[in-house]
Amino acid sequence: MRAPRPAAPLTPAVRSGPAPTATPTQRAEETAIATDPKSDRRNGIAGWAPVLLSATLFAWFCTFLPAVAEGEVLLWQLDWVPSLSVSLSFLVDGLSLTFLLLISGIGTLVMLYSDSYLRGDPQYARFALYLTSFMLSMLGLVAADNLIALFVFWELTTITSYLLIGFHNDEADSRRSALQALLVTGTGALAMMAGMILMGVAAGTFEISEIVAQGDVLREHPWYLAIMILILAGAFTKSAQVPFHFWLPNAMAAPTPVSAFLHSATMVKGGVYLLARLHPALSGTEVWLWTLTIAGAATAVFASLQAMRQTDMKQVLAYTTLMALGTLTLFLASGSAYAITAFVVFLVTHSFYKASLFLMAGCVDHGTGTRDLRVLGGLARAMPLTALAAAIAALSMAGLPPFIGFIAKELGYGGSIEAASSPLLVTGAALIANALMFTVAAVVALNPFWRRGGETPSKPHEADWQMLAGPLILAALGLAAGIFPHVLEHYAAAPIAQSLLGDAEKAKELHLWAGVNTPFLLSLATFALGLVLYFARGALRRALESTVGRLPDLDARWDDVIDGLKGFAAWQTRLLQTGKLRRYLVVIFATYAGVMAVTLAMKAAVVVELDFSDLILKQWMVVGLIVTGAAIVTVTRSRLAAIAALGTVGIGVALTFIVYSAPDVAITQLLIETLNVVLVSVALLRMPLLDPAGTHDHRPKDAVLALAVGGVVATLLLCVLAVPMDMRLTQFFEEASYPDAHGRNIVNVILVDFRAIDTFGEITVVVIAALSAYALLRTTGRRDRA
Amino acid sequence: MTSADFQTILPEFLLALYALAALLFGVYGGKDKLGPVLVWVTSAVLAVIGVWISLRGGEAQTGFHGMFLNDGFARFAKVMILFSAAAVLLMSEGYMARRNLLRFEYPILVALGVIGMMVMVSAGDLMTLYMGLELQSLSLYVVAALRRDSIKSTEAGLKYFVLGALSSGLLLYGCSLTYGFAGTTLFSGIITAVGEGQAPLGLLFGLVFIASGLAFKVSAAPFHMWTPDVYEGSPTPVTAFFSTAPKVAALGLFARVMHDAFGGVVGDWQQVVSAIAIASMFLGAVAAIGQNNIKRLMAYSSISHMGYALIGLAAGTALGVQSMLIYMAVYVTMNVGTFAFILSMEKDGQPVVEISSLNMYAKREPLRALALLVLMFSLAGVPPMLGFFAKLGVWQAGIDADLYWLVGLSAVASAIGAYYYLRIVFLMYFGKDDDALEAGGSPVLWGFLMVSAAAMVLGVVNLFGIEGAAAAAAATLVN
Repeated sequence: MRAPRPAAPLTPAVRSGPAPTATPTQRAEETAIATDPKSDRRNGIAGWAPVLLSATLFAWFCTFLPAVAEGEVLLWQLDWVPSLSVSLSFLVDGLSLTFLLLISGIGTLVMLYSDSYLRGDPQYARFALYLTSFMLSMLGLVAADNLIALFVFWELTTITSYLLIGFHNDEADSRRSALQALLVTGTGALAMMAGMILMGVAAGTFEISEIVAQGDVLREHPWYLAIMILILAGAFTKSAQVPFHFWLPNAMAAPTPVSAFLHSATMVKGGVYLLARLHPALSGTEVWLWTLTIAGAATAVFASLQAMRQTDMKQVLAYTTLMALGTLTLFLASGSAYAITAFVVFLVTHSFYKASLFLMAGCVDHGTGTRDLRVLGGLARAMPLTALAAAIAALSMAGLPPFIGFIAKELGYGGSIEAASSPLLVTGAALIANALMFTVAAVVALNPFWRRGGETPSKPHEADWQMLAGPLILAALGLAAGIFPHVLEHYAAAPIAQSLLGDAEKAKELHLWAGVNTPFLLSLATFALGLVLYFARGALRRALESTVGRLPDLDARWDDVIDGLKGFAAWQTRLLQTGKLRRYLVVIFATYAGVMAVTLAMKAAVVVELDFSDLILKQWMVVGLIVTGAAIVTVTRSRLAAIAALGTVGIGVALTFIVYSAPDVAITQLLIETLNVVLVSVALLRMPLLDPAGTHDHRPKDAVLALAVGGVVATLLLCVLAVPMDMRLTQFFEEASYPDAHGRNIVNVILVDFRAIDTFGEITVVVIAALSAYALLRTTGRRDRA
Repeated sequence: MTSADFQTILPEFLLALYALAALLFGVYGGKDKLGPVLVWVTSAVLAVIGVWISLRGGEAQTGFHGMFLNDGFARFAKVMILFSAAAVLLMSEGYMARRNLLRFEYPILVALGVIGMMVMVSAGDLMTLYMGLELQSLSLYVVAALRRDSIKSTEAGLKYFVLGALSSGLLLYGCSLTYGFAGTTLFSGIITAVGEGQAPLGLLFGLVFIASGLAFKVSAAPFHMWTPDVYEGSPTPVTAFFSTAPKVAALGLFARVMHDAFGGVVGDWQQVVSAIAIASMFLGAVAAIGQNNIKRLMAYSSISHMGYALIGLAAGTALGVQSMLIYMAVYVTMNVGTFAFILSMEKDGQPVVEISSLNMYAKREPLRALALLVLMFSLAGVPPMLGFFAKLGVWQAGIDADLYWLVGLSAVASAIGAYYYLRIVFLMYFGKDDDALEAGGSPVLWGFLMVSAAAMVLGVVNLFGIEGAAAAAAATLVN
């Protein structure tokens, strides 16, 4: 029996065209599942062990805080594959530690949450294993100090996330999304690895701490552009920047705790982490500045517009995550102190409120059976604690004081008005995105709870403490950080400034109230614009449908790409792998002809002077015989005639030997030729005709191929013969044949004396071959008669 | 034949003695009833010789006036060949016995083929090369057509034979061109005749013909066409054999000829080998996508893997040869494990080769599915499995030799190639629940599957120390 699954994921609401909605019947079914009486079977050790593990790790990382805040950098190193310069080295500085704490801290809360969310799922142990492996790989990723080790952890997060997205393997959408996420991020990662290898070779080391110390060398290096493009390909696919963003909303098919953990707080930030980590080595050039600015700004604006269109809570949150990732990229474009401080604060802020909101969405789904924003409403009464968490997190997301979101926004504006690229563009993008965030926050986190009316598929009920702990704690942290900003400044902003800019003093101070300045005015403008947008949201959504909804989208093309690849594979198999021997031979001979022709053209000045003047009549006759024989072989339809004609060619060759006074060789050739003709005709004449009607005439094509191969080999021989021969062998036999072997005919002496045993072997081989052919033919003959 | 000569070829000699004795014993003894016994004994003999060679060590020796070499490179390749052949033989026993395929000639033919392979990697002369190559090929032609009553198997054997004979002929043509212009068939003589920098024209064409002939043997594109048909048509244990030991031998011989005979003109063959490598990687990656027969899929997989291994050769350096050897060691281990799995795929007692039959396999056999997942990820080169480090090695060797475009293209190919390995994982874990594949196979197969999967994970710690051995082996070849 399938155990009830509390989360009934919606069809991802984003495809090209107008956002589709779940049909009422579909919804009813999902509701039925969701409201099944919950199994009381606990998850046992698989439930609490991961929580304990991540909590322990979190506590352990906390002990590093004082040292790192003092500017210390902690290093561990272990040789791994020395010949490939791969070492397992870890580095903990401000940047790593911030990530380590976020991952293990949010990890603890998510594990706790999942235990309740998926209670009684028969596959829970598997789920917990994947989620824990994911967390450990992610921790490895942000702590690794070796590029290759970092890549290894990077790919581990990709694999585990693949398994987690596809966890509901009975749904086609889950499977498609899992594979899509894997292929998109995996391909990006390969490009990134190429960039990393180049970077390692250019810098002479694979240790990140040593690479970032020589940023100037890298920036001057001729490979700089290639390295940067390749690494950005990895970072942008992982962190879902436009136009590689499409996999992230689809990845929402994963169970909600996974979305909260991977697709908002941790994994997707891997790309941003990498950009920050390599910031000292790669930033500071025009191309870095503009690439990151444009990608970041486009992602932020595009994603916030998309977020307005969605009606599924998780989809809305997915797009707001995209917006955050775009903003973070935008901050990393420049290296100004403002931007870096804003980066740190926004990173932490976003992790707090977004994880909280995702978990909240899970609670709502769990308690009501739907995540559709159009039907949700008035939940505050039934779910007061969830509503509280949602409200606090939403206010932080909207950027209102005294929440940390406000400080992050102020700093962001501070950075954008002095952006090195184009202050107008950056500030404009930030303003639009922030205003839309304000609106979206109200739509996604306040409306469902405080709006009047609303029909939910099942009677709403509050979640249990395990599921409430996460959203409440994270939301509260957002408030606390806003009230005591210097804690964040001391333990995160300053150490990260130290890592990225080399100076902890550069971090800007964090204030709730910094006086009336441009950022503050921009904030007011944001709130005003946000309010307007909120009230005009119906019109806005309609307008977006007809504009953004019609934009070309890689997701729609995705299936075409996959189908195209399959089609191409099938096509080339049909072409090359027909199963017909004839076709294979054609390919092999054609390859030879091609390779030889290319080599000739490249290596040899083809100077072939054909001089026929010294040919006399009998030589012409021999040539004529050979050519005629060859022509008959290709033209005739009779097997016997073909074999006979082939024999003529052989006799022509024998005659050539006679003309050049080598009768003994000629006799050998004649003997072999005769034997060949007899054996081949005996064999071939017993075979059935393959194509008696003669419908498939391959001869014209074969003739072309034969001419090509023959022509190339002939040219080759002429070229080769034009090069002076090494005469040592000839000389040796000339000198040695009479004294050593008492023979004047050199060929004879070679055959019966110098290479006597070879000759003997050849005779034996011919006899054995003839005998076995005879035996074979005799037995088949007998069977025919029987 | 002096005793020093004899020393260099002792393992081959003993194995040949064993094979002939076993043949007599089989013919005058119980014939096919002896099949299972002979398989086990042959496998043990191969393994013992493998252990013996690996312990023998010592300085590089040459025998028969330089025609036969016994150096670190040869020993490394021989150990791989012997162990993989022994493993595959063990895995075949149950499968073939149950399907009444176990003729007593089978283990003997494998042993003879292995002798040929050992001679190939030890060749120091064009004639030794050809002798080893033909001994190997003739044994393989027969083994491919072992199932005489099956049209597919006989067709596979015949196709293999015709195309193999063609490539041998072209190889011989190259050998005679080389001999004509170098005046010797000894590699040590050829390398002096070739000189440094640019090869004389006659030798260059000899080189091209020899290289193409060898490309056929390693089943590199565009000489790969026999591979899918032969892999599909042959009995599965034979396919497993084809995809392991002969590949090592052919690639070993390839490296041997290129470095020992044409080592002075790396520039001349680097392009040929790179072109073959690229063609193989892309063809293998793209063509495998449409396959539903797992044996054909493995055929394309081996084509593309040969492409990656050839990058190491194309580098033309000691590091390149080292990375190639490591690549082959990893590749062979992965293939042994994967074929152990394929051999155990059955439904109603009949062997199954359709990939679609793996649907939701993870649910029924979680442990086996996990092992296959590890192997597939490793074949695809996904870290942290060992297969990734093998690829990383050849890539680094390629970059070290300034072959950036080759490495870049191979990264693209490996991204495309990952698709079909992942499809198997995808089906096993996220497929539809319809087909029921039985938990077939013997404990032997189970053991090989698990050991090979475990090696892919545990090997990342220090590659089991083969790195040093491979480096030493490469050093004897390239200097």
